[in-house]
Amino acid sequence: MTGHFPLPYNTLVVAGGMAAVGCAAGVVGCLGVLRRRSLAADAASHATLVGVALALAATGRRELPVLLAGGLLTAIGSLVVLVMLRRFTRTREDAATAIVLGVSFGLGITLLSGMTARGIPGSAGLEQFLLGQTAALTAADAMLLGCLSVAAVTLVWVGLKEVVLVAFDAPFAAASGWPVFAIDTALVALLAVMVVVGLPAAGAVLVTALLVIPPSAARQWTDRVATMLVLSGAFGLTAALVGVAISAAVPRLATGPVMVLAAAAIFAASFFLAPKRGLWARWRQQRELQQEWSGAGREQTQAPAKATGEGGPWTP
Amino acid sequence: MSRPQPDSSPHCLEFHDVTVAYGRRPVLWNIDLTVDGPGLFGIIGPNGAGKSTLLKAALGLVPLAGGSVQFFGQPLGAVRTRVGYVPQRETVDWDFPVSVFDVVLMGTYARLGWFRRPGPRERELARDCLLRVGLADVANRQIGRLSGGQQQRVFLARALAQQADLYFLDEPMAGVDARSQEQIFAVLSALRAAGKLIVVVHHDLRSASEWFDRVALVDMRLIATGPAAEVLTPENLQRTYAGPLDVLDELGRAVARRERTP
Amino acid sequence: MDTLNLLGGSAGMHLWAIATAAVVAAGCAVVGTLLVVRRMSLLGDAISHAVLPGIVVAVLLGGRPGGLWVLVGAVVAALLTVWLTQVLHEGVGMSEDAGAGVVFTTLFALGVVLITLAASRIDLDPSCVLYGILELVPFDTLLLGGVEVPRAFLTAGLVFLCLLGGVTLLWKELLASAFDPAAAAAAGLPVAGLTTGLLAATALATVAGFEAVGAILVVAMLVVPAAAAELLVHRLHLVMGVAIALGVLGGIVGYLAAWQFNTSAAGMIAVVLGIEYALAVLLAPGHGILARAWAAAGLAWRVACEDRLAVQWRAEEGGERAADATTVLTRLVCLWLRGSGRIAADGRLLPLGQTEAMLIVRSHRLWEAWLGRHAELPLDHLHPPAEWIEHHLGSEVRRRIAADVGQPAGDPHGRTIPPED
Repeated sequence: MTGHFPLPYNTLVVAGGMAAVGCAAGVVGCLGVLRRRSLAADAASHATLVGVALALAATGRRELPVLLAGGLLTAIGSLVVLVMLRRFTRTREDAATAIVLGVSFGLGITLLSGMTARGIPGSAGLEQFLLGQTAALTAADAMLLGCLSVAAVTLVWVGLKEVVLVAFDAPFAAASGWPVFAIDTALVALLAVMVVVGLPAAGAVLVTALLVIPPSAARQWTDRVATMLVLSGAFGLTAALVGVAISAAVPRLATGPVMVLAAAAIFAASFFLAPKRGLWARWRQQRELQQEWSGAGREQTQAPAKATGEGGPWTP
Repeated sequence: MSRPQPDSSPHCLEFHDVTVAYGRRPVLWNIDLTVDGPGLFGIIGPNGAGKSTLLKAALGLVPLAGGSVQFFGQPLGAVRTRVGYVPQRETVDWDFPVSVFDVVLMGTYARLGWFRRPGPRERELARDCLLRVGLADVANRQIGRLSGGQQQRVFLARALAQQADLYFLDEPMAGVDARSQEQIFAVLSALRAAGKLIVVVHHDLRSASEWFDRVALVDMRLIATGPAAEVLTPENLQRTYAGPLDVLDELGRAVARRERTP
Repeated sequence: MDTLNLLGGSAGMHLWAIATAAVVAAGCAVVGTLLVVRRMSLLGDAISHAVLPGIVVAVLLGGRPGGLWVLVGAVVAALLTVWLTQVLHEGVGMSEDAGAGVVFTTLFALGVVLITLAASRIDLDPSCVLYGILELVPFDTLLLGGVEVPRAFLTAGLVFLCLLGGVTLLWKELLASAFDPAAAAAAGLPVAGLTTGLLAATALATVAGFEAVGAILVVAMLVVPAAAAELLVHRLHLVMGVAIALGVLGGIVGYLAAWQFNTSAAGMIAVVLGIEYALAVLLAPGHGILARAWAAAGLAWRVACEDRLAVQWRAEEGGERAADATTVLTRLVCLWLRGSGRIAADGRLLPLGQTEAMLIVRSHRLWEAWLGRHAELPLDHLHPPAEWIEHHLGSEVRRRIAADVGQPAGDPHGRTIPPED
């Protein structure tokens, strides 16, 4: 039966699942970027390692759903710690994020190498969760991740109005009766789920890139949230497929870094070429403005010559 | 101990012994204030006097350390949809990917409730509100591509879309050009004529007596309240701007440290 | 000596590894303190990731791991990160955190891909890049005056000395720019130059720790000791000193614990630093959780004692009998007041209690008088605030208030204000 397909069934399912994951990461990541919660997601992604190791140690089963459930628990735990540090200590938010990220990653590494040294079955290959490796995924795992991704996108669609309101103007939302803290919590929980779903593909270290780069690229092309979500999803999907394909073709190459580089290429193109916000468009706008100014300067002989040279006050 | 009430209808807005603290340090002391509509009510005071904090405390945006606030005789939770709010412009990321029209539409969200999307009726209302502040022609522009005065008017239109009976505006005239100021004042006057109460935080003394029917002078505590002409006397202003603040300041720090003052 | 036995036969090796960890941690703490107080912790995070491609390219071009060219490569990569983030921020208006997120993940991914593709030519393992191998540090040595010294120790030591020297020389400028960058710039200090220098220093500290603890755990070394020290002490030079001490302690204890539990030394060092931070959160004087709980309990007790004295004083003033203590707390308070000679067995005030009670009631009624004069409050609203403030008024402010309200004999309710003494 497989003979009819140019690629084996497993590869196709994995590619499809990862495409869904990339797309969902792009969509969910938009909300994270707009609400400025991307860095919290970064801390949470580094904390997943602890849960993955503990899940294996506790159950002895090296099955993806078990490991990811553990990862989700510690990801959420790290976010709770982050909130508590912000509320009960004088440590500023940026330092608190770095502390949670660094210490939880250290704990994860300690657990992983301790388990490897003790020869606990299944612990040897867990390093794939550092940088991601889709080649090892089974079709069932990929389908699970794909379904979770679809569920995440559905949730975004359902709660879009509320999250956008809070992200744009939280004081106004709170004053008109919306439970801002609850909406934020739901958003951050969804980011944590997305981090964990992206973990097998991109790895703990780089999975946040899938939540940050496609939305940043999409933002270049549009001034509307809905369009941004669609574009970001498309960019994430493309990056994921490129990552899966290239890392499958090159031996030992982890999937995560390739996905990130593919997303970065899309970002670079958007950064230079996007209409209105792109660097090229801005440069042209500025030049037109300068020409207009120097034209006006010739007519009005009294215009200060120095101001044209500086250009500082005239940049938008 | 209930206070004698002249009539049976509840007051539009009533601060009852409100104390607000940041951390443990009090920044507003025992505010006791009753406001009735319709009318334009100004909260006046110097920088750092806690005017905006008073507004935020009323709206539940900062917690009360003591006292209570009532709207139309009820706690805020029961009458949220009757209260509109225009926050300071600085609270918002103006690079956010929404259009002017989208922002005004957000005023209708609270009445829509969870997960329901705005329909034709809400869109009609939003268009109408934009028209009233004179911004119908820029409805599809990204919110950051407006002048400061236009941005403030968008916020005002959003509050209009809330269809409230009581409006709170936090420094609506700060950093706003003269034309926008006039336009904002015209909209507020129309609201007053429609029987609404509008409470405005304002720092400019000169324009205060000309805009507001009644005012409250605030500097960490309520100094005086009443008709603008009676309250904005040289003597009261002297008390506001050269008040015995060092005592409140010193006490505030002692309270925060859980100690006694010297 | 026990420790050495614990480490087994090759004590010298372990001592070198411990010394390397300590020196790396010290260097990171110096830079980290400046990053944390200037709210640039996340830039430290970004730089520690982004130096990877710089290192890899330098190695590919023939540099030795831990050698000069690798340091140069790392600094170039760090400055590139910051410059690109700045371009994204100013060029297309991206927020700085999103911009940094785009740049450092991309550079790190680039580094990993380069390592994998050039695996045959360079001796770097992608996962070691993440968490380093401190245990292998003693095997790569240089002969220095007849002693075999690990190369990584030499690099880290040199970097530490350079950083310490630079910080000492520029202390005044760093202090000013950390406290208030805008004012420092206005006063003519080269704040932008100092910031660039700090970023380059971060890259140096990172690359010095790279071999030992890897790219990500360097973040813990940069930020955690400094953040803990910031909770413990309040002046910049003390913060830096304590941060260095905490970092070195974390390095030593972490290595020993890792040896004990047979696991990754770098990971364990991060864990120990995390424990140090948690202890600082709990135990810090003044703002620590325990200190605050203690202060809150102390205040609650003082308020209860003073309230009981005032109740008794008011009862005696009116010629009545004070209500009996009913709750556990007030009974305890009465026991204490009796034991300390403030009230008699029948509850009446003794001279000491009399004096203290009078001051409390004086504070209360003076505050009512002050509020009556300075705040627009109805008469029946004066009591609750005074009930709270009476416990916070000291003699000097009380005198000022009395003078302000004109040394009245009575409060707004018409009751007598007792004299100061």
